[in-house]
Formats: sequence, structure tokens, C-alpha cells
Amino acid sequence: MRNSEIAISIKGLVKYYRDFQALRNVTFQVNRGDFFAFLGPNGAGKTTTINTITGLSQYQSGSVQVFGYDTKRNYIQTRRLIGLCAQEFNFDPYLSIHQLLKYQAGYFGVSAFQASRRADELLERFQLRDKRNLKHRALSGGMKKRLALCRALIHDPEILILDEPTAGCDLELKFRIWDYLKQLNNEGKTIFLTTHYMEEAERLCKTIGIINHGSIVRIGNKKDFIKEKNLEAAFLEATGLEH
Amino acid sequence: MITNPIGVAALMRREIYRFMSVAGQTILPPVVNSLLFMFIFGVAVGQRITFHGTGLTYLEFIVPGLMVMHLISGSYENTSSSLFIARWHNHIQEVLLAPLSYFEMVLGLLAGGVVRGVIVCIEVFIVSVFFLHTEIYHPLLFLYFIVTISVIFACAGMMGALWAEDFSMLSTWNVYIIVPLVLLGGVFHPVSGLPVIAQKISHFNPLFYLVSGVRYSVTGMIDVSLLICITIAFVLSIGFFFLTVLLFKMGYKLRT
Repeated sequence: MRNSEIAISIKGLVKYYRDFQALRNVTFQVNRGDFFAFLGPNGAGKTTTINTITGLSQYQSGSVQVFGYDTKRNYIQTRRLIGLCAQEFNFDPYLSIHQLLKYQAGYFGVSAFQASRRADELLERFQLRDKRNLKHRALSGGMKKRLALCRALIHDPEILILDEPTAGCDLELKFRIWDYLKQLNNEGKTIFLTTHYMEEAERLCKTIGIINHGSIVRIGNKKDFIKEKNLEAAFLEATGLEH
Repeated sequence: MITNPIGVAALMRREIYRFMSVAGQTILPPVVNSLLFMFIFGVAVGQRITFHGTGLTYLEFIVPGLMVMHLISGSYENTSSSLFIARWHNHIQEVLLAPLSYFEMVLGLLAGGVVRGVIVCIEVFIVSVFFLHTEIYHPLLFLYFIVTISVIFACAGMMGALWAEDFSMLSTWNVYIIVPLVLLGGVFHPVSGLPVIAQKISHFNPLFYLVSGVRYSVTGMIDVSLLICITIAFVLSIGFFFLTVLLFKMGYKLRT
């Protein structure tokens, strides 16, 4: 990993889906060790931005760098540094959850022995150890959410990208995930989070960016956001939405 | 060229595990199928067919053809269904997010198709032992042809899986292109026995050379240049492989 203090750097990013412009000259950066909340209404461009960072989406112009590595030219290095917890449950249907984590670690170059140990640790941590031989279809929604987090963390990435990680979770699980994310951030992981829960962003994050219609409309320190009003009011003002 | 050998090995193991976990649908059917083919066409019907010029009985003639037929379908179906289902469920993201080069991704996904193809091909040969006193005439050439053919069709399966938008499209290539080419490539009949015009057309069918190559390596009998068969198998396998790598690099139907 390059000795860069900037974990993610996006400059002039433009992305079209056919004639629809999803991202309009998006520029921002996320510092190493930051807990960054990326907020916006549905269809604003949050997931598209995430997909360009992870390489799941191509873009027409601009640049995306992860710890100084370009995600197009040096995609192998950048992918090694990122763990993604996507919105949807897209697990391999042929594998038990332990196998799934083990293979996923293998794809990231982790040896079979280490991968098995790491999978057990994460399943233990997210209280899924007793389900290790089940396939994901046998899990409840909350358990699948935890499995998605395990998968994102299996290769111990420097940057954790979470696309609405607590959507659909009950309160107890939500609080448990929050505690774990705070702990990871305290250990030095950079966390990039999208959420529709203002409370989540307010409690966890240090920096907040708001995107609307494919453009960044406001970005800054959380304290600046909530100095005059609460985050929800700041969000509504920035996006032009009405309560 | 391989920077993440553990990753490639993991992907290969996953692909092999996938078809082995459903062996009843992937590994066993060719045994039943080839048993029936050999019994009906080799024993029941084949004894009434007289072959001139080949030096082989009808059963001896069709065994290499059946081996190629199952080799092709095993390789093609494995990668096409594995990759298409991965796209359908979107768990292909597990591979796309990993630090694997596009070359490594294709190599890993290819393994399941090659191994399954080779296994079913050898199964057919073992079944033939119950009907014939048979042995492989040229084992090294046999290995060369079954590996190159399985690479060609495992790659074709991946291309089909990328192109297909639904399950009906997935079978289109197989039904309308591959099966006709295989059957017209001399699996069940010597091309030299066809009318002259049909013989000339058959020489434009690459499957004719692949079937002929395997038939030579099994029986020692060939009615076309062996060098041409070897060259076509080599060029097609390399060409299909790098074309598939290119599609992955372009992100064709993989990345938005």
C-alpha cells in the first residue's frame, strides 16, 4: 500500500447509463481512518459512486484513486484494499456460509488455513458460528446482513464500503453493527457508508458528503453540519427536499 | 502472468466443487447416455452397417465421436451455466471484486469446464471397454486434443453465458450452432462417405478436424491431415481463450 493519507480520491467523475447522466463531475476525497457518510435520496448516485470505486461500474471521464492507486490502471492493488458490503444479498448458492467465506478469502490470496480460521473468527464475532454449514438461503434477513459484513471483512481490507448496512435490521442488530463499525474505525480502518438513516450517520461518522442528482451538493465535517441544525434539516436543505 | 496463484486456485476449486456437488446432473448422465448409444447404435444397429475403407467397425468408429460429443457438451454446459447463474444471482461480484486479473478470472472459471469435459470423455471411453477391446492409440495426442477441445468449448460457454439475457438464450448457441456442427463433423458417419459437395462443406467445419484428431489418437485412423487437426485445435483454443479474456476486460455485461 502506498503511503497516502488519502484513502479515496475522486476527481471529475462523469458516468452515463446510456443517455442518463448518473454522475456529474463528482469530486471529493476521503482521508485515511475517516468514517465517511455518503448521503443522498434514492437514485442520487450513491451506489453508482461506490461501484466506480470498486470497479463494478465503468465511467466515461474523471479518475478514482484508492490510496494513490488508480482503479483502472492498478485495479488489482485497489481491489485488494477494499471490502464491499453491498445492498443486495448476492451469495453463491452452491456453498455453505463457511465455504463461501473461505473461497472469498482465497480469491483475495489468503491461504486455505488462514482463510478457514478467519472465517470462523468472523462467524463467531457475528454470531453465525452455529450456522457455518448452512447455505445462505437458510438464514434470516438479519443473518444475511451479518454474513455480507463477514464477506466484506474476510480479507481484512483497509477500506470498508458499506451500502446501507443496517437497512432492514432490528434495533439490537443495528446497535451491534454500529459498535463493531466504531471499533473497526478506531482500529484504523477507513469506512465509507451510505445510509438513509440520519441518526446512523450522526452517531457514527466524522465526515459527511451529500449527493443529489449525480452532483455533490455539500461535503464537510459532521460538526459543521450539525452546528446550526440537526443533520436531517441540513440534509433536506442541501437536497432541496421538503419535509 | 499469474500474480495471485492462491486466488486462481480458489476459483478453480470452487468451479470444480460446483459441478461435483451436483454430480447426478453433471457427471453421471453421460455414462447412461453413452451406454445407450453404444448398445443401440453400436450393437443393435451397427452390426448391420458395413464400413468400407475405414478399417473399423461402426462401434469402433463412433466411440471417439461420442467421446468428443460429451467432452464438448460437458465443457460448454459447465461454464455457461456456472457463469450465467453467477450473473443471474449477481454473485459474480465475488469474483469481480477480487484482486484477480482478467486473465486469472478466465483461467479460474475455465477449470470447471475443462475438468468436467475431461472426466465425462474418459467415462465414455471406460464405458466403451464393456463393448469393445479398445485402447488409446496415441495417449499424448489424445490428451492434447481433449484439453484443447475442452478449452475451446469452456470458453464458448463463457461467451454464451455473457451474451445470454435469460435461460432460453443460454441454450441458443448449443442448440443452433454447436450441436449441428458436432453432428455434421463426423461423429456418427465418415465424411468421406458423403456426396462430394457435402464433403467439401464439411471441410469448412472446424469440428470435423477436432473429431478427426480425437479419432486418430484413439484408433489410429484418419482421413485428413493430422497437422491441420493439431493446428486448428491449437489456434481455436488460444483464440477463444483470449477472446474471453478480452470480453472480461471490456466488462461485457459484467460491469455497468
